[in-house]
Amino acid sequence: MEKMTSPYKWGMVIDLDRCTGCGACVVACQAENNVGLCDKKEISEGRNMHWLRIERYWVGEYPDVRVRFLPVMCQHCHDAPCEPVCPVYASYHNPDGLNGQVYNRCVGTRYCGNNCPYAVRVFNFYQHEWPKPLDNQLSPDITVRSRGVMEKCSFCIQRIRRAKEEAKGEGRQVRDGEVQPACAQTCPAEAMVFGNLADPRSRVARLSRSPRRFQLLEHLGTHPSVFYLKGGGREHV
Amino acid sequence: MKRRTFLQFSGMTAASALLAGCQSKNEKLIPYLIPPDEGVTPGLATYYASSCTFCPAGCGILVRVSEGRAKKIEGNPDHPVNRGRLCARGQAVLQELYHPDRLQQPLKRTGPRGSGEFQKISWAEGLGLLIDRLKELQREQVTDGLAMLTPQLSGSLETFVSGFMRAFGSPRHLSYELLAPDWLRQAGRESFGQAGLPFYDLAETRYLLSFGADFVESHLSPVQYGNAFGRMRQGRDTVRGHFTYVGGRMSLTAASADRWMPARPGSEGALALGMARLILDEALFDKAALAANGLRPEELLGRLKAYDLPRVAELTGLAKETIAEVAREFAGTRPSLAMAGETVAFQTNGPESVRAVQLLNLLAGNLNRPGGIYPAGAPVGPENSFGELMTLVNSMRAGQIKLALIKGDPWHGIPPATGFQAALDKVPFIVSFSTLLDDTALQADLILPDHAALESWGDVVPLAGSRHTVHGLMQPVVTPLFDTRQFPDVLLAVASELGGEMAAALPHTSYLELIKGTISKRVGGPKKGGEVEAQWVELLRRGGRFDADKGPGKGYRWAAASSLPDPARPRFAGDEKQFPLHLQVYPSTAFHDGRGAPLPWLQQLPDPMTTVVWDSWIEINPTTAAGLGISHGDLVEVASPQGVLRLPAVIYPGIRPDLVAIPLGQGHKGGGRYARERGVNPLVLLALVEESKQQAAWNATRVRVTRISAQGDLVAAGHPQGSYRSDLIGI
Repeated sequence: MEKMTSPYKWGMVIDLDRCTGCGACVVACQAENNVGLCDKKEISEGRNMHWLRIERYWVGEYPDVRVRFLPVMCQHCHDAPCEPVCPVYASYHNPDGLNGQVYNRCVGTRYCGNNCPYAVRVFNFYQHEWPKPLDNQLSPDITVRSRGVMEKCSFCIQRIRRAKEEAKGEGRQVRDGEVQPACAQTCPAEAMVFGNLADPRSRVARLSRSPRRFQLLEHLGTHPSVFYLKGGGREHV
Repeated sequence: MKRRTFLQFSGMTAASALLAGCQSKNEKLIPYLIPPDEGVTPGLATYYASSCTFCPAGCGILVRVSEGRAKKIEGNPDHPVNRGRLCARGQAVLQELYHPDRLQQPLKRTGPRGSGEFQKISWAEGLGLLIDRLKELQREQVTDGLAMLTPQLSGSLETFVSGFMRAFGSPRHLSYELLAPDWLRQAGRESFGQAGLPFYDLAETRYLLSFGADFVESHLSPVQYGNAFGRMRQGRDTVRGHFTYVGGRMSLTAASADRWMPARPGSEGALALGMARLILDEALFDKAALAANGLRPEELLGRLKAYDLPRVAELTGLAKETIAEVAREFAGTRPSLAMAGETVAFQTNGPESVRAVQLLNLLAGNLNRPGGIYPAGAPVGPENSFGELMTLVNSMRAGQIKLALIKGDPWHGIPPATGFQAALDKVPFIVSFSTLLDDTALQADLILPDHAALESWGDVVPLAGSRHTVHGLMQPVVTPLFDTRQFPDVLLAVASELGGEMAAALPHTSYLELIKGTISKRVGGPKKGGEVEAQWVELLRRGGRFDADKGPGKGYRWAAASSLPDPARPRFAGDEKQFPLHLQVYPSTAFHDGRGAPLPWLQQLPDPMTTVVWDSWIEINPTTAAGLGISHGDLVEVASPQGVLRLPAVIYPGIRPDLVAIPLGQGHKGGGRYARERGVNPLVLLALVEESKQQAAWNATRVRVTRISAQGDLVAAGHPQGSYRSDLIGI
């Protein structure tokens, strides 16, 4: 049996001082991962399927009002509250530190979604359609999830797999910056950096040691793989 | 396929495999041993370089194609404008290609205009109809009865279309877009004697002062400036660029600012001059820059006497201390950079205000400096297309136009106050080249559907995202899905059919050949057949030519003849008592001016500031809303001297109490299933200001807002007020 250790520990750093909240990452994620199209009714029920959302906070009152944006996707916790509650092991932890979701194991109990403090798991309450010829855009790399299945951000695991296979073929490790999820790849302001946290010299590892860093709901002890860097502004400098 | 059906199927397959075990069915089990199509390897994706034409920024893209189908659009890392990055709109262009309501072949109108009743016809018949009309014009010797309406085109298409019109003998080619930066070209001509657009070196600046320039979502080249903004903030080791935003509404761009100055609408130019006066007064200006531009500080100060601090504070509604503080910071931090944007420009005093901001740049010595402002490498464009639009409307109204060829959707994108829609209705024959049955196509007598952008050949010169001239190429990434033809190819076919001068002026067999010709001429290099072809293929592979061309060698210099700007008090349409609120319309982050509305990814994308999906809304300050008895999500009626609309209200803490704002982009009558009858088009509210009819003052209308009911049917993806617990997560 192959040893369940890995030279990789994938993680991400999101610099909120760069993030402008433009929404490019949201569309990139939807395009890359065959995320279903939700109509107005579905979203009004709180059943939006986006794997990546941008939280918007209003702080203060006119005229001293500020807005803050916070892109939130699956935090790929190392002590993930979603994992132990799945009765069928659809939600599991992989050797690279990713929080995986096996769609064809999922029976739709939604326990994991209930237990996730970041509310990043989305459930297919409806069968999603891609009216022809819109179905041509579906990526062949990812399953199209049917009704009754829980889904979430995978750090674009299909891209990670491909990069690992290529590296293995050449007898080396995946280089820093070689693999990026769709959101980080498209982010106009380069606010998102993805990489191997196990390599202390990688860009993501260096940034994750920044004094500006924090994690979402740190006090819950979920140990997320996503680090945020605090935004600037007068009250922070 | 449902999971249950799938399981049933797999059970059946297993059973049949057992039964048919002895028969040879191998050819069906291994269908991909021999590749099904040439050049298609199952499971292996190919990337094609092309250019995005969704907005004039002209970013470079890579399209991932798998099994002959386009799957995803990504930024081209080698392209100097977007450096491998791409905005939400650029990525959604994929859905233009695979839109379920795309027009699949030419259509002829059978019902009344706007009814949407069309009959499918062949290309031969469609081209025949168009050519008959053109021949009729030639026969009657009224060739100027032909009008061509397009968005502002770039590269070969621009020269080609104007060449077509010239050869036919009609001067009526209108390149109009609501948000086109004509105002910036005009201001450049007046201040610096050159009408090219500016390139802002945002990444290297230390103090950015934006007067309503929303560079994150719409201004000039959003991906380029969004990227530069990131580098300005955190790209340098010891410097974090500071950002101050001036404007009555906190836009998406303003949300990233360190300081927001909600100046009264139309007073931004006065604010710029007030800062200029203070900088001169306290001798904080760049002496060398002033001398180099032939200006004397004492004289300047004398002419800016009227803009003293108390008066400017009164005009803008801002505190004196804040204005002085920002002026000192701006002049004291080098390099600094001031930008002027649409919010400011679309006022009656817009052109003067924009020039006031340019003067500020001059005083701080920001012209032609790293971290400052340079002339961009793009060729000049129209400077007053709004004036041309009004001329065309008058000709149409007078019945002089017999045939209108329309690319784009001006029916939705031009404010009815101009009289455009009523005048277009008088044109006896309208031809549309839309890919969807959009608002303009609904009015057309003949529709000759264009290819989707990802099926087209072309070249693109990015508007303003680079100091150098960049030539991007577009190539088809998939075989055309339907029986459509590319717009310039249709014009070429028409020209060759008309014969005579037309055919002589446009002798190309296809638009591709024309592009190849212009590109090889522009690039120079080999002349022999094989080498030219090799060079062309290499350019296609890379996505264009990015490096060699230098931009305009000449930098900015204040034109000696140009007088100082004087943004007098702005004027507004509508009586202040009857219509107490200012209205601002702004390009939506997702739809821009409305071109993105047919694409479901963009409809589903929550608006960054309000998180509203699939709808329009009006933003109202909480205090104003409370006074009017309006709460979040209520249905309200907005009335202006020009029109009335009903739409849901969003309580928006980041807007002046005397201002309301509605995003552009929705309210289509056509445009496919995702856009049709969704939201409202705020352009119907806009009135022309009496004294300045020759100017696009789209933010100079006053409105009245009244509550109708609680049923606004507003759907937002996030909590209406945002979370009050942002302290919990520590941002």
